Amino acid sequence: MAELSDTLFYVALGLYVLAMVGYFFAMAFTRVSVDGVIASTRAGDRAGRIATGLAVGGVSVHLGSSLLRGLDTGRIPLGNMFEYSSVIALLAVAGGLVFVQARLRHIHLMGFVLAAAVLMMGSGWLLFVPAGPLVPALESYWFNIHVTAMVSSAAVFLLAFLATALYLARDTAERRVAARSGAGYRSGTVGAASVDVADHDTATATTTVVSPLELRRVLSPVWFVLVPAVLLGLYGTEGGARGAVGGALIGGGLGAWAWYALPHLPAAAELDALAYRITAFAMPIYTFGVICGAIWAEEAWGRYWGWDPKETGAFFTWILYAAYLHARATHGWRGRRAAWVGVAAYVALLVTYFVVNLVVVGLHSYAT
Amino acid sequence: MADTTTQVGDPPQQQPPSGWGRLPMIPGPWETLQLAWRRLRRMSTALVVLFSIAVATIVATFIPQEPLVPDTVARWRAGTAGPGASIAAIFDGAELFDVFGSWWFATLTVLLLVSLTGCLIPRYRAFWRTVRRPPTAGRNLGRLRNHAVIRTTLPPDAALAEVDTVLAGRRFRRRWIDATTTSSGHPQLAAERGHWREGGNLLFHSAFYVLLIGVGIAQSFGFAGQINVVEGGTFTETRIVYGNIRAGQYFGIDDHRGFEVRLDDFDATYHPNGTPDDFVSTVTIVDDGEVVRERVPVRVNQPLRHDGVKLFQLRFGMAPHIIVRAGDTVLYDDRVMLGNNSGVWTGTAKVKTSSPQQIALDIALLPDFAVDDRGRPFSRSERPDDPVLFADLWVGELGLQRAVDASRFIRDGEPVASTTLVPGTTSEQLVGNLTVEFVEVPLWSGFQVSHAPGRWVMLGGSVLLLAGLVASLYAYRRRVWAEAHPGADGVTSVVLAGVALQRKVVFADAFAALVGAVRSALPVAGETAVQETPMTDAHHG
Repeated sequence: MAELSDTLFYVALGLYVLAMVGYFFAMAFTRVSVDGVIASTRAGDRAGRIATGLAVGGVSVHLGSSLLRGLDTGRIPLGNMFEYSSVIALLAVAGGLVFVQARLRHIHLMGFVLAAAVLMMGSGWLLFVPAGPLVPALESYWFNIHVTAMVSSAAVFLLAFLATALYLARDTAERRVAARSGAGYRSGTVGAASVDVADHDTATATTTVVSPLELRRVLSPVWFVLVPAVLLGLYGTEGGARGAVGGALIGGGLGAWAWYALPHLPAAAELDALAYRITAFAMPIYTFGVICGAIWAEEAWGRYWGWDPKETGAFFTWILYAAYLHARATHGWRGRRAAWVGVAAYVALLVTYFVVNLVVVGLHSYAT
Repeated sequence: MADTTTQVGDPPQQQPPSGWGRLPMIPGPWETLQLAWRRLRRMSTALVVLFSIAVATIVATFIPQEPLVPDTVARWRAGTAGPGASIAAIFDGAELFDVFGSWWFATLTVLLLVSLTGCLIPRYRAFWRTVRRPPTAGRNLGRLRNHAVIRTTLPPDAALAEVDTVLAGRRFRRRWIDATTTSSGHPQLAAERGHWREGGNLLFHSAFYVLLIGVGIAQSFGFAGQINVVEGGTFTETRIVYGNIRAGQYFGIDDHRGFEVRLDDFDATYHPNGTPDDFVSTVTIVDDGEVVRERVPVRVNQPLRHDGVKLFQLRFGMAPHIIVRAGDTVLYDDRVMLGNNSGVWTGTAKVKTSSPQQIALDIALLPDFAVDDRGRPFSRSERPDDPVLFADLWVGELGLQRAVDASRFIRDGEPVASTTLVPGTTSEQLVGNLTVEFVEVPLWSGFQVSHAPGRWVMLGGSVLLLAGLVASLYAYRRRVWAEAHPGADGVTSVVLAGVALQRKVVFADAFAALVGAVRSALPVAGETAVQETPMTDAHHG
């Protein structure tokens, strides 16, 4: 069963990669006309449908892989970093399909969701652990609740991060277009941010003044390629020179894609509202997870909070997400500044997840 | 927290008399205080404090913290690890080795709490007023975006009563408004819901005070200590037995329970591949000479509770039984608790502490002895399947009488003798007539013993926090009005209108559903008209 589970993992990874390419094709075959009307061509529609099918298939296979691992080991398949990464990717793709694509019809965001899922699975695969039992410290039902909540919220935060990052890109482009055309900046950074007051009304009222293709012209693709290439390349150095080159290529490709996608993306105000809604969905789950972690720590070690590096990291991440939610309701912080806080919060989450597990030694160093 | 920037504009006071020109006004101490208080209450200030706390936690992640890893901190101070002794001294000055116990972290926490309190008090007041105020009457219902007219055969009052039932089912607060006070001159039903948004917000922020009280109770009235016991050994729950004890101000020496804990057994089992399967201590508790709990298993995740004190499984180790004899005289007969030093279990036996001829044994134990390709001994696993003990004998002025850890006795030059033993064997005479016998390898078990009285308060605070968070994010303020206009033909027109303060797009659907529900509750005459007029939502109350 363990072998089958591993095989299904690779099949799911392959399907995700294909789906990602499919979504990319769907976008490439979608025309954005001069007056901002986004019209899909026949080929684009077909590519989108195929990509959706592949993604749904990938999720099913992936689910099978996780379930088999659980059956084989007789526990929930959340016991080490390989399994966490795998389930985070699974939930992110499933959540993207259900919420972003089916409900909100933002099909052009899906490729990014799949790319993030593939990266997450790839990182997990580097930390592969054969199916096996848990160490005694992890055998507690509080542990099960704790990791389930943590992994779910991490998957949802991943979606929120994508929306936030794309918002920053799109917003920059919209601002520049507005500045160049001399038209007043009507896109709703401020309006969108004030969700409590305006929410979607402003988002839909936003009309792009100039040709959406301008959005691509005002931003240099060089930066879009260079920054993610360097970041992912540095990350890839963990896996040697080949890892670095691979990381740089993937990062560069994704960056180029983000640049190409600028006109296809939802308006900045809409992306911002989306990021907020997803974060607001994840935050209670994450808070619940941290509380369960504290209860479990009390059961296992006799103290609910000990400022262990992992606990400190979780606290730090929580503070930043709380700051993000507050920043969106504060004058002078709305919009871009709040979004940067959101980006920082997700980076903190990644550091807490990867770096603290792998580098800093503490009670949570269960990576190996 | 409220954003109070709108309140900053002070009423103009103390205008300089004309003729003095425009001198800058220098704020007096009272004005400065007021200004500081206003600044502190601003959300942007709270955000900055929040970020400072975040930065502090980063510092605490990358600089070793004394309460967690005292040995590492000692090495940083000595300069043998970390950036050097002089930089460590600077860190010490800023209390960076104990960030969460430092004065500046406490200051940040207090600042945040003061800011929070300053934000909360006016909001509590406003919330209290809002909640007690009945729903306000609506005007110009026909001009609102979400607006529908339902024609029914019921008389006006009966029709409104039906609407009232529907709204009650959707948990709206309702208020009947007399025809004489409405702008249209018809009776009106005003309804609203979603006060839980602000209520949840206040609950969420207030939960931090509950958490803080819980922490305070645990820190003042509780204690936590650690103790290691060898199989068959006993300890009494008193202050002196614990190493590494943290006791609250109000947990005195007499508050310890004084019962006896006997470790009957310790078992560590492993999977075939060497990963741990289960660690279990079997414990008997004797209170006032009576056995109250007999042979209870204590595991990680399965603590033992007795008399408000909890016993947690923390760690375990090897404790070889060693007898040192001089001729036939037994100098030492004890089990030596060893610590794991990357696979090798090491420790020290203080054999004879009286001068001039002090005797000590340095012990190293490999639980599962094997020899690698280069001829070096190593341990195949953690299981004491094939234990081999290496002992170095030290004789002389070793400083064993000093009040330092036994392992740090003075080692000058080389040990006088060394021996390698397996269980059940005795060495030949080492120095003079000294012999060392290695009897067997029992295990020791390490416990955390604690009394944490604030736990339930903390848990309650956490539940409030979570409930408040969910409510503040997912409750939406909505207002709905219904008016019944009698028609000449005996047909009543029920006008429904609604306003959403958040998530308006979602409300459009919810309003349509509400209209549908009202329509099915009323005997309808003719068509229902749902009108979408691009008017603002501001024409009410």
